[in-house]
Amino acid sequence: MGFSFHRPDTIDAAISFAGVHGEDARFIAGGTDLIIQINRRRLAPRHLISLAGLGLDRISETSGEYVIGAMATHDAVVTYPGFQHELIALAEASAVIGGRQVRNIATVGGNIVNASPAADLVPVLLTLDAVVELRGPAGARSLPLDRFLVERGRTVRRPDEILTSVRFAKPPTASATAFLKAGRRKAMEISVICVAAHLVRGGKARIAVGAAASRTVRVRDAEALVERQGAGAFHEAGRLAAAEVTPIDDVRASARYRDLLVAALVERALASCAERIGKANP
Amino acid sequence: MSSYERRVAGKRLPRIDGIGKVTGKHVYAADFALPGMLFGKILRSSEAHARIRRLDVARALALPGVRTVLGAGDIPQIRFGTAIKDRTMFAQGEVRFRGEAIAAVAATSLEVAEAAVRAIEVEYEPLPAVFDPEEALLPGAPLVHAGWSDYQALPVFDREGNISGRSAIGDGDLEAGFAQSYRIYEHRFTTQHVHPGYTEPRAAVASWDGNGDVIVWSNTQLPFDMKNMLAEVLDLPASKVRVIVPGIGGGFGGKLRVGVEHYAAWLARKSRRPVKLITTSEEELTDAYPRQPTIVTLKTGVTRDGRLLARQGRVILDCGAFANSGPATAAIALQVLAGPYRTPHLAFEGIAVYTNKGATGSFRAPAGPMANFAVESQIDLIADDLGIDPLEFRLRNVYREGDKGPAGETLASVSIEECLRRAADSIGWSERKPLGKKGHSRGKGIACSWWLTTGGSSGVYVRINPDGTVTLVSGAVELGSGAITGAAQILAEELGVELAQINATDVDTHVSPYDYGAQGSRTAFSVGNACIAAARDLKRQIGALLAGQWNVPADSIRLEAGSVVSGEKRMSLADVAALSQRSGGGLISHGTAIQPMPVFDPNRVRHHPLPAWTSHSFHAHAVELSVDQVTGEVSIDRYVVAQDVGYAINPTYIEGQIEGGVAQGIGQTLSEEIVYDGGRVLNANLTDYKMPTMMDMPRVECILIEKPSVNGPYGAKGVGEPPCIQPPAAIANAVAAATGVRVQSLPITAEKIALRLAGKAGKDG
Ligand SMILES: Cc1cc2nc3c(=O)[nH]c(=O)nc-3n(C[C@H](O)[C@H](O)[C@H](O)COP(=O)(O)OP(=O)(O)OC[C@H]3O[C@@H](n4cnc5c(N)ncnc54)[C@H](O)[C@@H]3O)c2cc1C
Repeated sequence: MGFSFHRPDTIDAAISFAGVHGEDARFIAGGTDLIIQINRRRLAPRHLISLAGLGLDRISETSGEYVIGAMATHDAVVTYPGFQHELIALAEASAVIGGRQVRNIATVGGNIVNASPAADLVPVLLTLDAVVELRGPAGARSLPLDRFLVERGRTVRRPDEILTSVRFAKPPTASATAFLKAGRRKAMEISVICVAAHLVRGGKARIAVGAAASRTVRVRDAEALVERQGAGAFHEAGRLAAAEVTPIDDVRASARYRDLLVAALVERALASCAERIGKANP
Repeated sequence: MSSYERRVAGKRLPRIDGIGKVTGKHVYAADFALPGMLFGKILRSSEAHARIRRLDVARALALPGVRTVLGAGDIPQIRFGTAIKDRTMFAQGEVRFRGEAIAAVAATSLEVAEAAVRAIEVEYEPLPAVFDPEEALLPGAPLVHAGWSDYQALPVFDREGNISGRSAIGDGDLEAGFAQSYRIYEHRFTTQHVHPGYTEPRAAVASWDGNGDVIVWSNTQLPFDMKNMLAEVLDLPASKVRVIVPGIGGGFGGKLRVGVEHYAAWLARKSRRPVKLITTSEEELTDAYPRQPTIVTLKTGVTRDGRLLARQGRVILDCGAFANSGPATAAIALQVLAGPYRTPHLAFEGIAVYTNKGATGSFRAPAGPMANFAVESQIDLIADDLGIDPLEFRLRNVYREGDKGPAGETLASVSIEECLRRAADSIGWSERKPLGKKGHSRGKGIACSWWLTTGGSSGVYVRINPDGTVTLVSGAVELGSGAITGAAQILAEELGVELAQINATDVDTHVSPYDYGAQGSRTAFSVGNACIAAARDLKRQIGALLAGQWNVPADSIRLEAGSVVSGEKRMSLADVAALSQRSGGGLISHGTAIQPMPVFDPNRVRHHPLPAWTSHSFHAHAVELSVDQVTGEVSIDRYVVAQDVGYAINPTYIEGQIEGGVAQGIGQTLSEEIVYDGGRVLNANLTDYKMPTMMDMPRVECILIEKPSVNGPYGAKGVGEPPCIQPPAAIANAVAAATGVRVQSLPITAEKIALRLAGKAGKDG
């Protein structure tokens, strides 16, 4: 074991350092995933490149969109004023990631790049049609989060690309989001199933499910049904969603139970969105 | 009980070890380090049952920084064990579980030691293995220990093949009892492996001195047992082994037996350097002393009006590859099955079975939660079937003062009825199935039990110092429970000083008097009694010293408020101590205590190491919870414990014990399980081994009942273990009341409940 720790001052310095060391180097954000991978000997990077000093930790808004810097912590998401109403699902998801110590240091960028199928913030971001911003030696590029994620632990990011931010359009007022998570205990829990929903009154429906397939997925049949039929179809949407995912049996839960949870939580998340829209727009 | 008002005992005083611990200054064994210390690491088997064909340590030895590599061939082949000497430090030619130690390394850093362990080459030849304890009992099952009959063992146990011990308790005429029964019920319950979950991993530092003595700093619960055990495996006289416990971050029974101490001692001996070992979470979850899984079958005959007539039961306890305390635990389970209920005809059998899984041990109230889960679940099943309220059913059957216990011993200080009534009143028993919030079912459950205060002797040295302080040297470690503070409160009471004047030392087997150890709910009880004895002796010494000088009768001399008093005469305790030092060597005393064994009927018990319980306690738990009707998620709304503590030496720390025990019980009930797939643990990490968090814990409402015991200090009874006994049954009963789903296997996960609610699972969940 043993690695050297680097603290570049600029994004370009971080990128060029990563370029020099290739697979031997890893970016480190909060380290809450990476250090565990190293301790469990799944990864053995020779160089850790800190992203802490690059000014990537801000959450900001323009007239049309929100931008979450990759280094923003889950705590920052929980308390951000813009995420308390229509976008409350972001705060709901970040609020149940790990425990206090984890939320204080773990970042949004780490949650995305890590590409765990159980990452709690990822389904919420998928329902917001979020776009990720990457910077590499050849400059910046952006692409939809849905295309960024490939499968468990894999994204289309090149080793020397930094995820700088994730952005999404401000939702209309007559809209709502909701996030639900099931696990064996009420904190410090990797999701057995997590579900996010985003409904726009009379408009689009987005539903995403985590820990039910080899990556976090949108359940498009269920979305289409809700867009066509509205609130009357929430129960059926849950059933459809369960049919669209491919959960596995593991030590945390059986596939059968995960199917049951997907159906239940999708229905509840949709119902919660509808109720929130109703409350906020009487 | 004395009639006077007590000043120190019974008060909610802050613990004497508190400040060092909450400020992080206290040195625990895991913090301990010596100059030049090496780091040890253990190579563990990757097979569940196999012959070791080849062990090659050459590549490991060649690594820079590696000082010693030890395997079975490098040390004497000494078998050790609690009930049966069935274990060796390293597997001798054959591994019996995945995780068993094969070799150990000492190196200049932990990283080098780990690399060295990976560099050791092992070739295995697989042997047939057995993982299911019921299969292990079948004729022709692979033997975990082919040479079992050659092992030395305590004579009390009845052993054969994979059976490491078999015990029985019985009374009356079972056949006749069943024949007279109005109805007979048969049920089967299963429980899982759970880890004690102490905060501090097991750790030890060993160092050899110029005299050929070995000093081991360890976080053991039983320093004297450890000393003897180390003498055995090191092939040394016990006087050459010194065990010091700097501090211990919890044990719960998981640190009773040797963990890493013997590896540290042998590696230090061979490398001639101090060596430290500390376990990882993975090691804790694969080779520690978790609670044994059990299969409990019960057959119960009752009268029409709900009286227990005949009960038959069998506990199969899976002790893993080595017996450790398994045979004793299977035996103690029988008392848990019996009590606290009168039953004219009963026959219970406990069988401890070897399998090719990790060893197990005595986690807090060993046998308690498993056997109680079975009995108290079945009581509810029977009561509901007979249409009798479960509380009422219990009240018709519980022990009364003067009843005979399972071994025919006479029961005194029986308080089970009061415990049940107080717990039921507090939870609002009259409404057993209140309305839940939308989508949730609510229900209440109750369960009761009894437990013992373990015997064994305690010794303390007590010295009154010329500065007015008092030094308490006990051979029992402060496990974190506050038990030594409790004993110190008793000592302060007896000596007429303040608690803050008492200093307790760490345990050092070269210095401290013998104590049977911090286990079995006995520490405050037994050390407290030893303190009373020491205080009496000190009073006698003081009387002898001052009676002549003051010209008063020795028995007129009293201790109060830091002074020695007789009539008008008064001298501060500090001055008396100084006077004694000038004239007679100082005020120092050795107080000892042992509980008398109750008289019992030997015809009722077979092969039982602990036929009758000493200073038993009674307790009832009641819970109200909500179950999500779809996901099965359980939320505990209220949790009440009514526990007879005899005398509450310090109510604050008793409540702490109750809250902690309930937390562990809730963990065992709802979320925790070491999951084996054959011989492999699937969740040997703290991500997937799920102890409850604060968010999973309800506030625990504690009702302390004080029905004095005959033998405890001021009537106290043991309090530490009982709180983790009833949560599984109380919660199972509440889940059943809420949902109609009766889960008979632990843990009662949301998944089991949900699949049953959805009609997608078999009967057993
Ligand atoms: C006790 C505990 C509990 C947890 N509970 C949860 C939970 O409930 N829900 C959940 O979703 N997760 C949970 N996690 C996982 C983890 O905390 C989160 O995924 C977290 O958001 C990761 O962020 P980080 O900043 O710590 O990532 P890091 O560990 O620093 O990085 C993770 C990976 O992403 C890469 N990376 C990070 N940032 C960037 C970037 N900006 N550009 C390029 N690459 C980058 C790193 O190289 C690394 O490979 C838990 C972790 C722990 C230790």
